[in-house]
Amino acid sequence: MWSELRDLREGQDLGTPPRGGEPVALVVDGKPVTVPAGSSVMLAAAAGSCPVPKLCATDTLEAFGSCRVCLVEIQGRKGYPAACTTLVEPGMVVTTQSPRLHELRQGVVELYLSDFPQEDVPGGWSELHETLQQVGVASHPYGQGENHLQAPVDESNPYFLFDPAKCIVCSRCVRACEEIQGTFALTIQGRGFASQVAASQGERFLDSECVSCGACVQACPTQSLVEKSLFVGGYHRAQPPKA
Amino acid sequence: MSAAHGDGMVIAIERLVAMANQIGDFFAPYPQGQREEGVRNHLRHYWDPRMREALLAHLDANAGAGLHAHVLAATRLLRDEQQTARKAYAGPPPRG
Amino acid sequence: MPNPRKPDGSLVTTCAYCGVGCGFKAETIGGEIVRMIPWKEGKANHGHACVKGRFAFDYYQHPDRVRTPMIRSSIDQPWREVSWDAAIAHAAAEMQRIQAQHGRGSVGAVSSSRCTNEEIFLMQKFARVALRNNNIDNCSRICHSPTQFGLSATLGAGAASQHFDSVLQADVILVVGANPTEGHPVFGSMLKRRVRQGAKLLVVDPRRTETAESAHCKATVHLALRPGTNVLVLNSLAHVVVTEGLHDAAFIAARCHPAEFEQWRALVADARYAPEVVGPEASLDPADIRAAARVYAKAKRSTIYYGLGVTEHSQGSTGVMCLGNLALACGMLGREGVGVNPLRGQGNVQGGSCLGSWPHMLSGYRFVTDDAVRATFEQDWRLSLDPEPGLRLPNMFDAALAGTFKAIYIQGEDPVQSDPNQNHIVAAMKAMECVIVQDLFLNETAKYAHVFLPGSSSLEKNGTFTNAERRVSMVRKVVPPLAGLEDWEITVKLINAMGYPLHYDHPSQILDEVARLSPAYQGMSFALIERCGSVQWPCNPQAPEGTEVLHTQTFPRGKANFMLTGYVPTTERIDERHPLLLTTGRILSQYNVGTQTRRTGNVAWHDEDLLDIHRQDAEARGIRDGDLVAISSRYGETRLHARISDKVSPGVLYTTFHFAQSKANAVTSDLSDWATNCPEYKVTAVEVAKVPATAPASARARAGAKA
Repeated sequence: MWSELRDLREGQDLGTPPRGGEPVALVVDGKPVTVPAGSSVMLAAAAGSCPVPKLCATDTLEAFGSCRVCLVEIQGRKGYPAACTTLVEPGMVVTTQSPRLHELRQGVVELYLSDFPQEDVPGGWSELHETLQQVGVASHPYGQGENHLQAPVDESNPYFLFDPAKCIVCSRCVRACEEIQGTFALTIQGRGFASQVAASQGERFLDSECVSCGACVQACPTQSLVEKSLFVGGYHRAQPPKA
Repeated sequence: MSAAHGDGMVIAIERLVAMANQIGDFFAPYPQGQREEGVRNHLRHYWDPRMREALLAHLDANAGAGLHAHVLAATRLLRDEQQTARKAYAGPPPRG
Repeated sequence: MPNPRKPDGSLVTTCAYCGVGCGFKAETIGGEIVRMIPWKEGKANHGHACVKGRFAFDYYQHPDRVRTPMIRSSIDQPWREVSWDAAIAHAAAEMQRIQAQHGRGSVGAVSSSRCTNEEIFLMQKFARVALRNNNIDNCSRICHSPTQFGLSATLGAGAASQHFDSVLQADVILVVGANPTEGHPVFGSMLKRRVRQGAKLLVVDPRRTETAESAHCKATVHLALRPGTNVLVLNSLAHVVVTEGLHDAAFIAARCHPAEFEQWRALVADARYAPEVVGPEASLDPADIRAAARVYAKAKRSTIYYGLGVTEHSQGSTGVMCLGNLALACGMLGREGVGVNPLRGQGNVQGGSCLGSWPHMLSGYRFVTDDAVRATFEQDWRLSLDPEPGLRLPNMFDAALAGTFKAIYIQGEDPVQSDPNQNHIVAAMKAMECVIVQDLFLNETAKYAHVFLPGSSSLEKNGTFTNAERRVSMVRKVVPPLAGLEDWEITVKLINAMGYPLHYDHPSQILDEVARLSPAYQGMSFALIERCGSVQWPCNPQAPEGTEVLHTQTFPRGKANFMLTGYVPTTERIDERHPLLLTTGRILSQYNVGTQTRRTGNVAWHDEDLLDIHRQDAEARGIRDGDLVAISSRYGETRLHARISDKVSPGVLYTTFHFAQSKANAVTSDLSDWATNCPEYKVTAVEVAKVPATAPASARARAGAKA
């Protein structure tokens, strides 16, 4: 009845919210998996111990389908559907690992890395870092292009900071503020490359409607939103190499 | 004020009278009989014995001046321990 | 180093800040707490948190924490640091001296709802086996004691009928005198989630609270009643239900005493409770009262959540009974999505109620006047117990002023700041010969103390908390107690020093004793809670893993009672000298009297208490936003900066009480609930006047127009 809340498990991210429907049997990477109706292919894969790499999905939020990292192959379907927004069906046959999928995912992740501080790739422990490892990417082939690496850090909140340089605009923070907290303080401002996370109408976090519940920090996969207490002596961003 | 053992009034009598009347106000809508028992039971189970004794002393010394009529009657009922239900009591007067 | 440090330790524990009781993972690096991460498997919070539990934990190592026991012979002397043994011996000797001189009943104790169930249980045991009286109370005396009384009287159990998740099944949510999005934020988020899904929201509150109106969440009906008219308005809702035939006759016939229903129906059907009569008296539109009653009664599943706006009145217990009556009349009990639910303030107030920390009750809500109940305790503790009820907290202060009450042991409470009519409390404190304060900080009450025992925060001890949905969860020791002892260890030492030999190896043994002596906790143990994550009482052989929803088949006393709830206006009334009504409440970022949260980064949001005043009242007095104003009542005076606000109605003022210097309780009255003496914090007649400004208004007060 309350699967979305009660079936969450510590230390395991199913990718999309657990559901409480009738059991549905399918095959993921050759293994039979049974999950409740209404579940996503991503959840079925996680339940079957073949987790699909992901960035914009997490099991405390409804699926969004924006990051394109969780692409899979489904027998009898064209193209590469996103595992997070595709619901399971009886008898479905899913493949989560193939040379083509690997190539596609690497391409997507490299694009994300092209606008991410290169200095922060080694030694990190965020979800992004886990995904990098899963996909087998540590760098990108692109030259220095337009980026957000110089955007100012918002340190107004006493407890957490927002570094836009690490933001991949996956909207998890915005959705957490809406779906979990119900405050609607965050938004994505601008379009295309200029789009960025903003509190209220582009105010500092402290001056916005933000109630500092921390749901956005918890949801952020890149530690772009991160607790200040994890840094000794304040937050000093590594300087990007000169162009 | 006296601090010697047993001498002092535990709480100023004006306050006790006001508290007792407040209890009386709650039980006022109940039928006669139930109303007095309700007040009596409440005093018996929720008031420190010294507070009850002070109220009884006020009954003797000043005819319970200031107490509403049914609270006065309830205070008299307090005298009779036999009538006091010792069972758990949290609400309405026991039904007759 | 732009990548953050990675925590190397993690322990699941329970937040102590409010009655929601969120589960958290306390994460550490090298033994130091670096962050609190909401526990996804926490059954009260499901991985969500608020600014207090998530971030405001740093108070635990604040420089103000007292690290050594201290004593002094009189309150004008400086404190003297002593060893634990010396402090305990001194405290025990003083208690014994005073009892010998002034009688057994001249001393008492009050337990803390920031402490664990095990510690609360030990505090009442201290009073009963060491002081040998029943002068023991807990802080719910000044918040939810009417809940215990009113819900026991109507439903038979003085606690929430539902679990929090139940709200996600409700079609109508009636919130009375509570502002969950600020006071109980994680539950508030869940409530809002349900409203976004389409449930209707009804709010009864004098203020236009955040709960009543916020982004994507707006009350269908908001009854912004005049403070002090709860019982009148709730009876009026009942009037509409019974006169329009909206009651659930089948439920009443099956589950309630029919004769009592008829008696009650006659009372509320009286013309004086008709909305058209009540409306003008409560400053409400009669049509709104009718609309709210119809929405509540006609839905399939309507639920009630309420807070201190119901209880902290001279008719607090009556107000709670009104809610019980209303739910009974409409058959809104015993299923998912319905019920009557108090939103409790402190982390363990429910535990404070359950564990016998009452002058008239032993653990499990059983009367000390009941011979059979007392006998079970006497057998376990091997001594005879005082068969008479003891003094309640306000009675203790009254008795101190009358000279018959001389010593008190206060664990983790700050009555000088938190209790009403501050002048009266201070005088009572000064009249006592020995005040023992056990706390994290030298709080306001400690100014009048003779013995200070440095306590431990909830991050420094093992035990359990019971939240507002009756859920018992583990509190785990993340860091060692700063002053060396967990609170339960201090109380054990004191009990021993008073001559009653007592020993526990671990708090789990105290919970075992609670289970042995309290029917609702019968099946509880650390092992069970470890296994299940948390367990809701009642927990017994019929419900070995606890109970989510109460009253499904039958009520604890078989059938439920309708109580007669006649409206009796408070004697605290406005007049020419005091023409405005002041009501009090709390804000999201600060917790209670602020002892903890004032010592964290949360002051970024709220660094002083402000007085909310309607433009009309302000203009009539020449008060502008940010002005320093004097607030005077019949009991005292205090000063705050004014904030012009449209959240209060004309004639109503509002402030919070988080900062000691605000002295909000300097103006509150000593009137209290008829049944429990719970103070009437919510209604004080006052006047305000601009203070000719020499002191500049603070920056935040000047910028405070946002509200």
